[in-house]
Amino acid sequence: MTQLIISLLVGVALLVFLYFFVRRSKPSAEGSAQQLREARQTLDSLQFGLLPNDLVHRIFAREDLEYVLSNAPADVQSLFLSERKDIALGWVRRVRGAILELMRFHRGHARLYAQLSLATETRLALNFASLLALCRFLQIAVYLRGPYAAPGMVRTVAATAGRVCNISEQSLQFLKVKQLDPLNNTPSSHGASV
Amino acid sequence: MGIYIQTVWLGGLLIECVILVRSVLGRSLANYPFFYLYVASVFAASMALYVIAIVSPSTHGLYWPKQYVTLFLGCGVIFEVSRHVFARRVTLDRVARWTMLVTFGAIFLSVAVQAFFLPHWNVTTNTADLERDLRIAQAIGLMTILLLTGYYGIGIGKNIKGMILGFGIYVGASVFSLTLRLFVGPRFNPVFGVIQNTAYLVALSIWMVALWSYEAEPTEKPPSISEGEYQLLAGRTQEILGSINDHLDRTVPR
Repeated sequence: MTQLIISLLVGVALLVFLYFFVRRSKPSAEGSAQQLREARQTLDSLQFGLLPNDLVHRIFAREDLEYVLSNAPADVQSLFLSERKDIALGWVRRVRGAILELMRFHRGHARLYAQLSLATETRLALNFASLLALCRFLQIAVYLRGPYAAPGMVRTVAATAGRVCNISEQSLQFLKVKQLDPLNNTPSSHGASV
Repeated sequence: MGIYIQTVWLGGLLIECVILVRSVLGRSLANYPFFYLYVASVFAASMALYVIAIVSPSTHGLYWPKQYVTLFLGCGVIFEVSRHVFARRVTLDRVARWTMLVTFGAIFLSVAVQAFFLPHWNVTTNTADLERDLRIAQAIGLMTILLLTGYYGIGIGKNIKGMILGFGIYVGASVFSLTLRLFVGPRFNPVFGVIQNTAYLVALSIWMVALWSYEAEPTEKPPSISEGEYQLLAGRTQEILGSINDHLDRTVPR
């Protein structure tokens, strides 16, 4: 019976892959000026939108909840929880969107290079996948149980995002700007020092 | 042999003939030698089986050897697809090839173990079993190629796209029909014949259209901005990734 299930699963998986293969749109020409401008915008939005430290602290601050619970009437408490929930959901959506953009940017550029590092690529793919799944779980948790439901998960999302950034940094070494020789870059070497 | 299967069989022979003629006229024979060797071998074997079926109705003894020969040549087609799709991507090509080799190795190891340890198990009496396992290996090879090209958004030309689609449909249908045949038993034989022959006819039709003329694989356009601008972006990428990491360090205590 196990053999039957495995074989049929392989058959179904192949047909699903073929379905998406047929539906696949033509890949964009990575490296075009427009693509690179978009990539720059993406990176800018990553810098300011992924995890601004004060924002995350504010959204998930437990002291706010404690203050409202101890000082405000019931209707204000429920309004606070509802609004905080919307904000938390919005934050998770932003993080997820930024991770997707980072992933798209990385894959688009990585495919142009013949000698990819298999280990780095695998680690990155797993981290992207786990981060996206975590964001989804966090969305469900916040949606069902409110913004203070899963503080541990928020930490995990942030930690995994950090790991992804670290690995991305390593994998983007091929884009590294050549460091200028400090001797050639100092004013004294041109004889113009004061 | 039912009238339907006979029609499909003859239709298949005709399409195979057209594909082989077009390979010469369309100048694609030299570019996809394994694929055309595969089609030619299926054509020759099917033609021989058809003639033998008319002369002597008992063709069962020849069906499985023909299947094995075409099955192994089919693996060559997958390697050829990988070679073309990942022509400039050494690592990805290596991943696809190794996945297939490891899967095949595992299957042959399992056959050897069964033949050695199970006295009643015989490869000649378990041909359908082995064919199903090898089809699964082909399916895994194809899925690896599809996964990698999908993940990295690698463009695929019309010829190779047709090869993958046609071969994928046939391999998928074979995995289903061989599995069900093993579990349902001889009652499934008429349906098995219809599924196998129809899937192969569909695959041939796709190949005929996709390989009507040769079309080279799309090549990536080099960046249309200056090297300096590109390096500026690269430097900025690193800088921003580093600063995101700093943000994370400061945001959440780990």
